[in-house]
Amino acid sequence: MIEFLISLSLTTIIIGAIVLMLITLYKSISIAHKNLLAIGILFVAFLLQLIILLNIDKSIYLYPDIFNHSFIVDKLSTIFDLMFLGGAIFTLAINNRYFINRDYYNGEFFSLILWSVFGMMMLSHANELISAFISLEVASISIYTLVGYKKDDIKSSEAMLKYIILGALASSFFILGTALIYGAVGSTGFGDIHNFIESHPTQDLSMIIVGLSFILITILFKIGAVPFHSWVIDVYHGAPFPITMFMASILKIALFSILLRLYLVDFSHFYNIFSPMLTFIALITLLGGSLLAISQTNLKRMLAGSSIVHSGYLLMALSSIKSDNQEASLAIMFYLVSYVISAIGAFGILSFVASHRKRKLTFEEFKGFAHQRPFLGAMMTIFMLSLAGFPSTIGFLGKFYIFMSVIQSGNIALAGFGIAIAFISVYYYFKLIALMYFYPSPHPKEKYSFSITTVVISLLAIATIWGGIGTKLISFLPSGDVLLEIAREALMQI
Amino acid sequence: MSVILSLLIILPILTVSILGISRASINILRISSLSISIVVFVLIILLTFQFDTSQELQFISKVPWIINYGISYYIGIDALSLVLLLLISLLMPLIFISIWHREEKGYFYNLLLLQSGVIGALVSLDLILFYLFWEIMLLPIFIMIGKYGYGKKEYNSMKIILMTVFGSMSMLFSIIYLGFMHFESYGVWSFALDDLARLNLSVNSNIILAGGFLLAFSIKIPLVGLHTWIAPAYASAPTPALVVLSAIMAKLGIYGLWRFGFELFSATFVYYQSLVTILAIIGMIFYAISAIMQDNLKRMFAFSSASHLSLIALGLFLANIYSWSGSLYLIISHALASAGIFLMIGMIGNRLDTIKISNLGGIASVAPRFTFFFALFALGIVGVPMTGGFVAEMLIIFGAFKYSFVVGVFTASTMVGAIIFVFWMLQRTIFSKAMTKEFPDLSKRELLIIIPLAILLIATGIFPSFFMEIFNTNLELMLQGVKI
Repeated sequence: MIEFLISLSLTTIIIGAIVLMLITLYKSISIAHKNLLAIGILFVAFLLQLIILLNIDKSIYLYPDIFNHSFIVDKLSTIFDLMFLGGAIFTLAINNRYFINRDYYNGEFFSLILWSVFGMMMLSHANELISAFISLEVASISIYTLVGYKKDDIKSSEAMLKYIILGALASSFFILGTALIYGAVGSTGFGDIHNFIESHPTQDLSMIIVGLSFILITILFKIGAVPFHSWVIDVYHGAPFPITMFMASILKIALFSILLRLYLVDFSHFYNIFSPMLTFIALITLLGGSLLAISQTNLKRMLAGSSIVHSGYLLMALSSIKSDNQEASLAIMFYLVSYVISAIGAFGILSFVASHRKRKLTFEEFKGFAHQRPFLGAMMTIFMLSLAGFPSTIGFLGKFYIFMSVIQSGNIALAGFGIAIAFISVYYYFKLIALMYFYPSPHPKEKYSFSITTVVISLLAIATIWGGIGTKLISFLPSGDVLLEIAREALMQI
Repeated sequence: MSVILSLLIILPILTVSILGISRASINILRISSLSISIVVFVLIILLTFQFDTSQELQFISKVPWIINYGISYYIGIDALSLVLLLLISLLMPLIFISIWHREEKGYFYNLLLLQSGVIGALVSLDLILFYLFWEIMLLPIFIMIGKYGYGKKEYNSMKIILMTVFGSMSMLFSIIYLGFMHFESYGVWSFALDDLARLNLSVNSNIILAGGFLLAFSIKIPLVGLHTWIAPAYASAPTPALVVLSAIMAKLGIYGLWRFGFELFSATFVYYQSLVTILAIIGMIFYAISAIMQDNLKRMFAFSSASHLSLIALGLFLANIYSWSGSLYLIISHALASAGIFLMIGMIGNRLDTIKISNLGGIASVAPRFTFFFALFALGIVGVPMTGGFVAEMLIIFGAFKYSFVVGVFTASTMVGAIIFVFWMLQRTIFSKAMTKEFPDLSKRELLIIIPLAILLIATGIFPSFFMEIFNTNLELMLQGVKI
């Protein structure tokens, strides 16, 4: 039953992707309808995954006879699937106006997005290194193409070239690592590797450690951790808005889906080796990301820099996973959700603004924005507060859980450092709020326009606030606690 | 009755959301903000009648909030919070009347939001809940100063938020660590104040954790050394924000120390007592001198406010019953007087477009009513006899002498200095040569704002025992737990 449902949801997306590619030929179908179709396909898959989530009680292999135990279906992967699908739905819906106002968007854009989502879903189900690599590449190659989607824009092309060259280089590390591990273990299945590690003394495992480190490098590159971050700002800046949003939020979740599974299963024997390394990377990521974010004058670049900082928080939590204490992985999952909600909202407002007239989206441009568009200004304030980790928003709880899990693992200084970085981030997020509210607007006040984008933005804003204060006080509505409980059940299954 | 407490928090913020979403017109906004603030005031008066002065925390309710970490929506009040609740709920309607003519909707939204935040911070007994409200009330001040302020408002509002958030972050670190220590010691998570107060921590970690709290609250007060935001912020702030800043927000720093600092770290504060005492005494003198040298009335009273808050902090850390009831009484009378003086400075600014002392003079000859009340509040701030300040300062000076002769002498002498400063200020601003020709006297609406404050200020001076009855027993009970 569950196998059928999961393959149904995956095939829905593939078929949807092919259909969308084919209907590109029909110019009579408007871009809004293609977008709607893509959203519809994703939504069907989302519903299917929701049914799976409610019914799944143990982890099973996806058609073990055909795929040879390469793909696993459990609660964790289902939650991640839901995040990808939900995130993709929001990304497409929020950019509706942007697509309509740009003439170069066409069916293949949505098709590529669906392919990418398909790759990510396979990635979250992957239980074997080669399948993980292939899924990762399916997701990534679609995104390489999408980054350079606007062919006549020199920035976009530059971003694509940078990303594809560096990305390919980083991916090769994954293959190298896989080869090394295969050389030692004779298998690439996560379970086999785990068993091999458990049954051998540590001095025999150096090849595996090197291999795992290589794999880690690829993943760290893709999430933009310092020192593999040099591409992030330019690529995020050059890519079209929907893609920047997609990369900053959903691709990051996808990478954490595989990283979390690998880290909990295969790294579990080596926490004392990898934990200090990850701690160090988290520290420099937090610091480097903050420095990058502070110095930007363009909002898109600032958000790109801040996404590095958020990766740093996630790594901070990852580094504090211990074999007897896995609270941190709950914190990671919660933080991913909280970050995605706020980041999609913030990027969505930017793209909404960018869709109306040609703007550079510098901080200067946003002077007096709240007077010009009070509604969007207020929404942006909510998202900025959430990204800054201001209490009463979901972002605060995300950070709170991360700090708690870090302190629980005994690393008090690291938590203190995280709080200090949170303080720095207050500066660049509040700078935007200050610009929006404290200066007169050079543009006249615009009328509130009702569109699907504003509806989605309000929904996300409500989710941001509700995630921060919504609680057991009102028990019939799901809130952060429910999310944590589901995540906890999911982790039990690993 | 605990429902009323929740209602107090929810009502203003609910009004903000409903009016904000429905894009209410300015008239509806005025009427509903004023009526909501009056409703809140009436509710608090009701609570006061129900309040049993012989007991500590009352009207408690505790509902699980974030179960994973044992955080609960845990509220309740004692006399300390009740006094501050009464103050804020009294001031808010007056502030709303004073901005009745303003067209900017932002004032109303922000003030309502601020009221929710302050009330929430005053009633919460869970540290994370407190942190939430503590941060929320920062936002309206930030926006009001930055949006409607004067001078380098953008820079100054950024400065105030960064400094206060820095303090909050250090407090957050302490809170998180305390919660974790509770988990370590008892195996369950809790951030409730009474649970955390039971923790037995090593002296060193207690000193660090107490430092986190102390930093957050000292920035708000501000103690000397952490005061660089106060003069620019006050000078930039528009009148409503200014009244709230001096009459409420600064006092919340004291409240935080009192409620959380002393409850959690009363033994540890021994190590900080001398430091705070010295800083407070230096602060009183330094701020008084700075105040004398200012030419801008707002900056002048910013420093005078800080000077008095240092005195209150001193009284708090001397930790005997005289100094404690003196401090709490000074909070009341100083809030009344400073709210009055800042409202009247706002009136001067509206009428003359200047609040520089060198441009003022001779108001007394054209506006006698204004002069009377202005002088009353100015004298009330420094605590001349017949105002509450006098009683309070006397009590703190008693407490200071009880603690140490030297501290007593310093405290007493700064009081005299303050009186000189205020007389000189009055002489230059209100009397002296007639620079001001056109100065309309107080209108009816302005009288409506000023008279309640003035009456209360005098009443606190004449019937101190009537007011002190509310909190004296409570303070004695609280003092029993303090081991300085």
